[in-house]
Amino acid sequence: MVKVDAAPILNKPSLEDINSIEAVANSIRRSLIIMHKHEKFLHMGSSLSSVDIIATLMFRYINRNGDPLNRDWFILSKGHAAPTLYAALAELGLIPKEELIKIQSIDSILQGHPEISIPGVDMSTGSLGQGISFAVGIAAWIKSRGGRGRVYVLMGDGEQDEGQVWEAITHAATLKLDNLIVIIDANGFQLDGKVDEVKPKPYLPFVWKAIGWRVLWCDGHDIASIMTAIEEALESDRPTVIFAKTIRGYGLKHIENTDKQRVEDIEDVKDFDNNNA
Amino acid sequence: MLKTSTITMRDAVGKILEEIGEEDKDVVVITADVGKATRVYRYGEKFPDRYYNVGIAEQHLIGFASGLAAVGAKPVVVAFAVFLMRAWEQIRNSVARMNLNVKIIGTHSGFSDHADGSSHQTFEDIALMRVLPNMNVVVPADVFDIERSLRSIILEVKGPTYYRIGRDYSPIITEGYDYKFSLGKAYVLRDGYDVTIIGAGVVLYDALVAAKELEKMGISATVINLLSVKPIDVETIEMYARKTGRIVVVEEHMVYGGIGSAVAEVLVERYPVPMRFIGMKTFGRSAKSVRELLDFYNINSKAIVSKCLEVLRYGDRRS
Repeated sequence: MVKVDAAPILNKPSLEDINSIEAVANSIRRSLIIMHKHEKFLHMGSSLSSVDIIATLMFRYINRNGDPLNRDWFILSKGHAAPTLYAALAELGLIPKEELIKIQSIDSILQGHPEISIPGVDMSTGSLGQGISFAVGIAAWIKSRGGRGRVYVLMGDGEQDEGQVWEAITHAATLKLDNLIVIIDANGFQLDGKVDEVKPKPYLPFVWKAIGWRVLWCDGHDIASIMTAIEEALESDRPTVIFAKTIRGYGLKHIENTDKQRVEDIEDVKDFDNNNA
Repeated sequence: MLKTSTITMRDAVGKILEEIGEEDKDVVVITADVGKATRVYRYGEKFPDRYYNVGIAEQHLIGFASGLAAVGAKPVVVAFAVFLMRAWEQIRNSVARMNLNVKIIGTHSGFSDHADGSSHQTFEDIALMRVLPNMNVVVPADVFDIERSLRSIILEVKGPTYYRIGRDYSPIITEGYDYKFSLGKAYVLRDGYDVTIIGAGVVLYDALVAAKELEKMGISATVINLLSVKPIDVETIEMYARKTGRIVVVEEHMVYGGIGSAVAEVLVERYPVPMRFIGMKTFGRSAKSVRELLDFYNINSKAIVSKCLEVLRYGDRRS
């Protein structure tokens, strides 16, 4: 069956599924606040914009069991959202929850950016644009060897500035890697400020589409929307990119949609829960 | 086995890779639109499902290879040395940092691309690769060294390795020697007691010529093939520093951070002796032949003889 641009076979998420992922996402947000209380130098804004996407991927789609060709891979190409990844891995029980507050300490396994030495981390990242090439390599070998594994990559919108992204996505399209799904956490910020001020990128979806990728959109803070997009991507016969519209610092009113990283005036976790309600 | 000793280094690498591809079905060759120039396109014709040409995209070339290694393949990246250096940070962060089993063959290094000039000539790659944790650096002298070492590097050595070769200029240097390649081991091509000449790659041809010239003057020179630049053979280097008391290093590379520096780093801690360095200090240029360039930049037997005579005025023989 030709699936190109056909209507997706919707594996409609149940309310129960959505609720359980939402609960995990909220738990991850709580962990982030606690981590931030112990370590001020975290990329909080960017970590919070990725929470719902990472929670959905890790708790619904990524199957970590099996040999390298038949399990799924998750590459956090925007490595500065490491705190969210660690909090999710703690929810999965792959790293101890007590370790989270030790992030970036000299005696902790949790580095400021992901390292493969950390249980559950598939690639050492931190240098933007490199995760996507790595993922293309994994997806190509899985496809060549007839494996069932899929490769999921989470990138930033600012990260799209890197020339290596062009090199990688053109190659992925050439290889027709239908086992590769990229999600772009489009929170509208890069390090120096708003994407639209630093270097606007309105061309991005057109570029990905012109190269040969299937391009989808979703609300990056709506679990049902994220799941619908991923379900559609799973049916694609091409590599798929999902632009997930997100809000930087989502859930913390003090920093939402600003370039602020630190939250000096958070009193406690309750404060955060109220904001997010 | 190579049938002829008149084959070039890039042809030797291409041929041996084909043999290795036959032996091990996990070996994948990846290039960046230089499949013909590096001769690996033949590997692609033979094993189309284990050959990737990523286009003119060296940064992705390295990242793609690191992904292949992570999922269990044995990737061999083959591209021009100078343009691989464009992806130095990818080699650092996506290969060396994860200690992935990616083999990187830099071709057309040194003066070997004599015609194309300074943009294509590489005199910085040994320094840039040597500085990376986990990275091995191997510089074969000739096609016989390639035959000794390449199979072992791809099939036996685990972890990232940079393998530096040239294009066509391939003088015969190590034919008839019966040493076996072992990572971390240097080889004595000629044993002497007045001065030790250390080098790697095609310049060893001039080192041996210089040693013969010195012999005519009554000076006995050791010549060491530092095939494994990293890990470096500390014992052999120290032994010959003690034995001859003076060292001259010759390289087709910058004298800054290259083989001379590597040897000096060893000796300054173990057994300092007077040393001299022969190598590049600036960018190259176009010429009709590699030979012309080696002479133009004073990286030849004449320069080696003169540096040996100079260093012989210092230090002393210890045995």
